[in-house]
Amino acid sequence: MSLQQLKIPKRKDVINEFKARGGKIAAVLPIHYPRALFRAFSILPIELWGPPKIDNSFSGSHLQAYVCSIVHNALSFLKIGGLDEVDFILVPHTCDSLQGLGSLLVDFVTTTKKVLTLYLPRDKGEPGYEFLGHEILRIYTILSQITGLHPDDALLFDAIHIEEQADKALAELYFKRKKLGLGNMDFYRLIRTREFLPAEHFIKLSQSVLSVSAAKSFNGLPVVLSGIIPEPMELLDELSRMGISVAADDLACCGRRLYQPGVSMNPFRRLSENLFSAAPDPTRGDSLESRIQYLKSLVYKSKAKGVIFYDVKFCEPELFDLPDLKKALKGQGIPSLTLEVDINDPISSQMLTRIETFLEVIR
Amino acid sequence: MSIFSHIKYFMNVKLGARSYIMFNRWRNARRPLRWNTKYLAPPLKVDKITKELIALHYLDGHYVDGRKSVAWVTSGAPVEILQALGYYVIYPENHAAICGVKRKVVEIAGEAENAGYSLDICSYARTDIGAMLSGKSAVGTLPKPDLLLACTNICQTVLHWYRILSYHFNVPLIIIDTPFIYTEYSDADIEYVKNQIEDSIPVAENVCRRSLSFKKLQNVVKMSKDASELWLQIIQRGTHIPAPISAFDQFIQMAPIVEMRGKAATVNFYAALLREVDERIKNGVGAVVNERKRLLWDNLPIWHRLRYFAEYFGTMGISVVASTYTNAWGELAPLMDKDRPVESMAKTYIYPVLNRSAGSKLGTIKRMAEEFHINGVVLHSDRSCKPYSIGQIDQRNRLIHDDRMPALLLEADHNDTRSFSEEQTASRLDAFVEMLGI
Amino acid sequence: MYSNLEALGIDVGSSTVKAVAVDGSGVILWHHMESAEPRVVPQVDHFLKMVSEKFGDISGIPLVATGYGRRLVHVASKQITEISCHARGVFKQLGHGGTLVDIGGQDSKVIIISSTGAVEDFAMNDKCAAGSGRFLENTADRLRVDIDKIGKIALSSTEETYISSTCTVFAESEVISKIANGIAVETILKGLHRSLTLRIVTMIRSLGSLPPLMLSGGVVKNPAIRYMLSEETKEPVVLPDLPQLMGAYGAALIALT
Repeated sequence: MSLQQLKIPKRKDVINEFKARGGKIAAVLPIHYPRALFRAFSILPIELWGPPKIDNSFSGSHLQAYVCSIVHNALSFLKIGGLDEVDFILVPHTCDSLQGLGSLLVDFVTTTKKVLTLYLPRDKGEPGYEFLGHEILRIYTILSQITGLHPDDALLFDAIHIEEQADKALAELYFKRKKLGLGNMDFYRLIRTREFLPAEHFIKLSQSVLSVSAAKSFNGLPVVLSGIIPEPMELLDELSRMGISVAADDLACCGRRLYQPGVSMNPFRRLSENLFSAAPDPTRGDSLESRIQYLKSLVYKSKAKGVIFYDVKFCEPELFDLPDLKKALKGQGIPSLTLEVDINDPISSQMLTRIETFLEVIR
Repeated sequence: MSIFSHIKYFMNVKLGARSYIMFNRWRNARRPLRWNTKYLAPPLKVDKITKELIALHYLDGHYVDGRKSVAWVTSGAPVEILQALGYYVIYPENHAAICGVKRKVVEIAGEAENAGYSLDICSYARTDIGAMLSGKSAVGTLPKPDLLLACTNICQTVLHWYRILSYHFNVPLIIIDTPFIYTEYSDADIEYVKNQIEDSIPVAENVCRRSLSFKKLQNVVKMSKDASELWLQIIQRGTHIPAPISAFDQFIQMAPIVEMRGKAATVNFYAALLREVDERIKNGVGAVVNERKRLLWDNLPIWHRLRYFAEYFGTMGISVVASTYTNAWGELAPLMDKDRPVESMAKTYIYPVLNRSAGSKLGTIKRMAEEFHINGVVLHSDRSCKPYSIGQIDQRNRLIHDDRMPALLLEADHNDTRSFSEEQTASRLDAFVEMLGI
Repeated sequence: MYSNLEALGIDVGSSTVKAVAVDGSGVILWHHMESAEPRVVPQVDHFLKMVSEKFGDISGIPLVATGYGRRLVHVASKQITEISCHARGVFKQLGHGGTLVDIGGQDSKVIIISSTGAVEDFAMNDKCAAGSGRFLENTADRLRVDIDKIGKIALSSTEETYISSTCTVFAESEVISKIANGIAVETILKGLHRSLTLRIVTMIRSLGSLPPLMLSGGVVKNPAIRYMLSEETKEPVVLPDLPQLMGAYGAALIALT
């Protein structure tokens, strides 16, 4: 089956449709944020991972060249009108560069959008949970002031439950990915709809994919992809062309956001539990040991032959861990390859050569 | 702790260091002029003591093994608890800066690059990781840590860096996470930081096997506050015309306030420095002999070119009289309160300039520009410090357009000589100086 | 006379194109090298014409293409990366594994070859040209020195100046200022070679070097790089015969299997 048959809606159409029903739109920067909170206010979060391949010359009047292309592009996108349909911009505090962008948007960049920031605690203990609950409550208060809405616990829980179901659907797609018969590109196009589809639509889409049994499964040499985003997406087609199948991922926009449902009956606590539950992530201060264990388990479960670290240039959170991750994998006989990208650049022939060589090595 | 290590410490540090210091004094007396130009005032007299303090501190570290527990901490970390518990404290950032001043970075950071650490990682971190992996250093070997303490109030870089240290040394890491202040901080922010500081106490106690004495903590907090207040006064003396002390002097003299905060010796040191600065004011001595224009420096210094900048500006009759960077270790002094040590620490450590918004930093620059009678601002765009640097393009533009204040954005790196082009810098500086009307 | 031709390899590099013909046991029967033309396809045709003039009908002879232009060699039975090819060629010639350094015009590679001849690990310099042969070419040009002589001139200098910039653009302005300061050309050249060598050594160390150190590619002709690599790594440097042909040779060997 190909995704053409599934009719993945376009981002623009999703936005227009949601707005036509009286909803508002929030553009959300990477990586973690409480989706359900926004939905309870009839705000649809649409994620902004760049986007890649745009004219990013406009951000240079605010950001230095040593800031990564995701952050540069997000600002350029705002300046060229890419966010005209949007009412809010949410900047989670993910790294120093996004901290800087958030601060610029609040203080210096002229925009009619309401800019919200979210500090994600790096403390893993009770103080961290408690703080995140407060932080989500703070955003609730701001949204209440702006919209005049005051969703009660029941309404909040409606939104929470449906997002938890969507998380579950995403997990199921991951679990059954081999049986879906989708190529690399189609699989990631499908799961990345979680970045802009309302949870209820995403659940429906997942169900329709899961209900069809694949004619034949996509077979290739299995590898694990680790990094931030699989952009430019042509990478995935190139991998297929070479006979590589992405069997599991440790990507910030994808596999690192397989959240578990929370348990608390306090909605704010519940959302904190949910956000805290995902895979190890350096931006949240998870230890190196936990990342090593997680990567190894991905490799073993997916029977991958190697790991490709696909990192965005200047991304310190990823770069710091690389030497030890690679060394630990090597110690287990798992080869790995490191690639660095600017999300605006086409895939270079040098990069393809590196991947092909890696393939020749692991075969 | 063995008797032997105490004897070794006594022989080497108490006796050996004395002769080392005598030798150094003799050597310094033979070379009294630090700057290669007659346009700068002779170096401060306390300069020798600074060097001795730092040398002794690292020497102390050499023989610390078995006598004290060792903690490696970030420059903005709430170190008072560790001081009160009797830890020997090392500041890797400071160590890296010393390697920078001594131009050892390319060699030492090269060891980290050889091990696969990217050139896009902060050069402080690369220097220290290189030192960790190879044992190379500009100050002899560093004692291994028993505990790590990282506070995110300066950057997220330290979070990533200290996780690596924790993994390599296999020792506990305390993270004190301080929410970034986009506009103003809330009670929940303070509560969060306070809770973490409280939770860190048993971890730190456990490692050194001592329990924290509240009285000792109060005493350390008081000394920390006293030293910071003295430092603030020293910086404030820069408002005098001519300025008795330059930002380049401050970059050197700030080492004890970063490295030895909370110690009696540090308080005494800054009292002596303040006296000397006041003496200069009384005698009309300026840091630059013929002070014609006054500048403010933003961001970290370029450690490997301190002399270059001091001499370049000095020759032009330009005194760089203040910096937002050295100011950061003084401006929080009033927030410390020995009667509520933990809570006041939470309020202090959430509030350094690096943990506040880009707009707030512009406010600090503007306020300082007025107080210090500034004619222009140099913003060092530091490739290795994103939190300090992002926002500078707008800050510069606002200074130029709102205040008609000449401002220069200078691309460099605080430690890595490879990200610095002397030719490009020189032509920019020349043009900037012309704009100042010299 | 050449009836024992069994396989062909062609290496379409960024500055030169190389071809090698081998017999059934991997002995080189013929080889040829030319500067690379901007149009790859006609140049490859021209190469194949040369081969058929020499060997007669070559249809049915397996051909493996490598190098950055390998995908444009449509007649090839297979396209293999230059890394695998270099490793194969060098291993066959020298008969042992080790760390192979190949400094090309466009990029530099360090390849760890196991004792069985397999590629164990590899690294390539990043986008920036400072780790490649182009870095030397540019500055040689700037200093008005013949590229073929720069290594010899560099080695003739007893003094050395430190070039700190890792970026070619910065390095060039650094070189200009050094000239302006009256520093001798050979002193600057020695510093430049050091700078390039250190970039390569960083790559070698990041992989964890496996002795001995082997060198292939066009830069082999430069004695300064050879000398400094050995000096910095404290390892002897081993060279294959025909070091510039190792990619094409490896391709031919792969075609043979």
